[in-house]
Amino acid sequence: MWSLSSITDIVQTWLGSTFNPTIALLLQFVMAGLLVITLFAVLGLVLVFMERKVSAYMQVRIGPNRVGPRGYLQTAADTLKLLMKEGLVPAGADKFLFNLAPYVVMISAMLLMAPIAFAKDFQMWDLNIGVLYVSSVSSIAVIGILMAGWSSNNKYSLLGAMRSGAQIVSYELSAGLSIISIVILVGSLKISDIIASQQDGWWIFKGHIPAIIAFVIFLIAVTAETNRAPFDLAEAESELTAGFHTEYSGMRFALFFLAEYANIFIVCAIGATLFLGGWMPFHIGNLQAFNHIMDYIPSSIWFFGKTFFLIFVIMWFRWTFPRLRIDQLLNLEWKYLLPISMFNVLLVTIMAIMKWHF
Amino acid sequence: MEAKEIIFYLLAALTLGSGLLAVTARKIFRAAIFLLFSLIGIAGFYFWLQYEFIAAVQIVVYVGGIVVLIIFSIFLTQQAGTDLPNPPLRRIIFSALAALFGLIFSWMLISQHPFKPGAESPVAVSVANIGSMMLNVNDTGYALPFELVSILLLAAMVGCIVIAIKSRTETAN
Amino acid sequence: MEQIGLQHILFVSISLFFIGVYGFLTRRNLITMLMSVELILNSVNLNFIAFNKYLWAGRLDGVFFAIFIIAIAACEAAVAIAIIINLYRSHKSIDVESAAEMKY
Repeated sequence: MWSLSSITDIVQTWLGSTFNPTIALLLQFVMAGLLVITLFAVLGLVLVFMERKVSAYMQVRIGPNRVGPRGYLQTAADTLKLLMKEGLVPAGADKFLFNLAPYVVMISAMLLMAPIAFAKDFQMWDLNIGVLYVSSVSSIAVIGILMAGWSSNNKYSLLGAMRSGAQIVSYELSAGLSIISIVILVGSLKISDIIASQQDGWWIFKGHIPAIIAFVIFLIAVTAETNRAPFDLAEAESELTAGFHTEYSGMRFALFFLAEYANIFIVCAIGATLFLGGWMPFHIGNLQAFNHIMDYIPSSIWFFGKTFFLIFVIMWFRWTFPRLRIDQLLNLEWKYLLPISMFNVLLVTIMAIMKWHF
Repeated sequence: MEAKEIIFYLLAALTLGSGLLAVTARKIFRAAIFLLFSLIGIAGFYFWLQYEFIAAVQIVVYVGGIVVLIIFSIFLTQQAGTDLPNPPLRRIIFSALAALFGLIFSWMLISQHPFKPGAESPVAVSVANIGSMMLNVNDTGYALPFELVSILLLAAMVGCIVIAIKSRTETAN
Repeated sequence: MEQIGLQHILFVSISLFFIGVYGFLTRRNLITMLMSVELILNSVNLNFIAFNKYLWAGRLDGVFFAIFIIAIAACEAAVAIAIIINLYRSHKSIDVESAAEMKY
C-alpha cells in the first residue's frame, strides 16, 4: 500500500503503448528532468526557510515572520528579489567560464539525484554501482567552484576556490572510506540492495561500534564537503568577503545558493540510505504489532523524515562550533579522520568476515 | 534513428569537439575545462557500452583527481588574463599534417581489417567479477599486476613528495 | 544507416589519439603537453574497452588493462605536476624552451 510505483507503472505502460520506443524514452527523460527541477525549486525554498528558522531557534530569536503567515513566504520573496537583480560580470573576467561555472555545479547536483531511492520502488536509475556513482559524480562540483574562482579575476575568489578545492578533495577520502565500510557489510554497491539489507534493522544498529564511527566520520566529512560551517572556509565572510562567489550576483548567485542546499539534501539522503535504512520503516525484532504500525507510515515519509533529521543535525553544527583555520582543517582530515577511518574499514572487514554483525 | 545511435553521435561530438578545443584553446584554463569535458565524454562512452564500473573509475580518477591537479598547477604557475603564445605557423602545419597522415593511415588499416568476435558467452562486468579476478593468483588472475601497480603508486607518492618538497636551506633564504 | 559497431568507436578513439598527438607537437607549455598525453592515454583506454566489449566479451582482460592504465596515468600526472611545480620554482616559467641548460 501507499506505493508510488503504481503511478510510475501506469505512466510507463501508457508511454510504451502510445509512442515508439525512442520518443517514449525521450519523454521519460523530459519528465524526469522536470521532476528534478521542481524538486530542486521546492527544496531550495524549504531548506532556506528551515535554515533561517533553525538558526533563529538556536539563538532564541523568532526568525523571518513578516512575509506571509508566520514568515512562510519569506524565501519566495527572496527568490523573486534575486531573480530581478542585475547579473554583473566583472571587468577582466573570462565571460565563458564565469557563466558556465554555476551550471556545472548545478548539473552535478542534478546528476546525483538519479540513483537516490525516494520511496519504495521509486528510483530513477538503479544502476549496479550506485554508491560509487554518487561519490564519483559529486567530485564534478569542485571543478565548478574552481572555475568560478579563477574566472572572477579576483584574489578573494581565487583564494576561496583554492581552499575549497583542497578541502573537498581531502574530505572526499574519509567520506568515501566510511561509505566503503557499509558497502563491505552489504556486499553490494547497488542502492536497492543496500536498502534491502536493512530490512531487519538499520546498519547503524546492526553494525555495532564501527558503523557508528563510520556514521560520525561521514557526517563530519560531508559537512566539510558541502562547505558548511564550521568548515565554511571557502566563503569565510570575515576573511574572504564571500569566497568563490564574491563576484556573482542575481540569477547566477541564486544557482550557487540553490546548488549548495541541493548538495546538503543529497549527502543527507545518501547518509540516510546507507546508515538509517533509506525508506525502510523502523522495526524492532519480534514486536509484530509495533512493526505493523510502522509499516502503515508511507515509505516516502520515512525517507524524507530521516533525511531532514540529518539536515537538521548539520544545521545544528553551524551554530555550535566555531570556524576552523585552514591548517586546523587539513590537520583534522589528514592526521585524525583519515587514519581513524582506515582503521575502521579494517575493523569492519574483520567483522564482515567473522559475521559478527546481526 | 534509434536513441542509442543519437546518444553515440552526441557523445562522439562532445568528446572530439572538446578534445580539439583542449589542444587549440589559447587560454590555458579553458583548455583544462575542455579537457574535462572530453574526459567526461569518454566516461559517457563507457556508460554507453554498459561498463559502469570503468566509467565511475574514470570519473573518480580523472575528474576528481587529475583535472583538479592540473587546475591547481595552473593556479600556481600561470597569471589570469594572459594568453598562451600562438605556435609558429610552420609548426602548426607540420604537426597537423603528421596527425592527419597518421589518422588516415590507421583508419585505412582498421577499415580493411576484418574483426572476428570471439565465440565465448559474455560475462557480466560486475564489481564482484572484477574484484575476484583482480586478486586471483591463477593464470587468468591479475594479482601480480595489482601488487605492482600498488608499489608503483606508493613510489609515485614518495617521489612527488621528494620532488616538490622545499629543502631546508631554500626556505631559510 | 548501418548499425553502430566496433569501427565507429575505433574511429572516435583514433581521432582522439591524433588530436592528442597534434596537441603534443604544437604546444610548448608543460601543462598543456600533459593534457595532450592524457587525451592519448584515454583514447587507448577506449580502444581496450571497445575490443573487450565487441570481440572478447567472455573475458575481462580489456577491463583490467583499462584499470591499470588509469592507475598508471594517475601516477604519471602526479609526478609530472610535481616536476612542473619544481621547474617553475627554478626557472619562473614552465615553457619547455626555457629549460635548455643541458641542450648543448
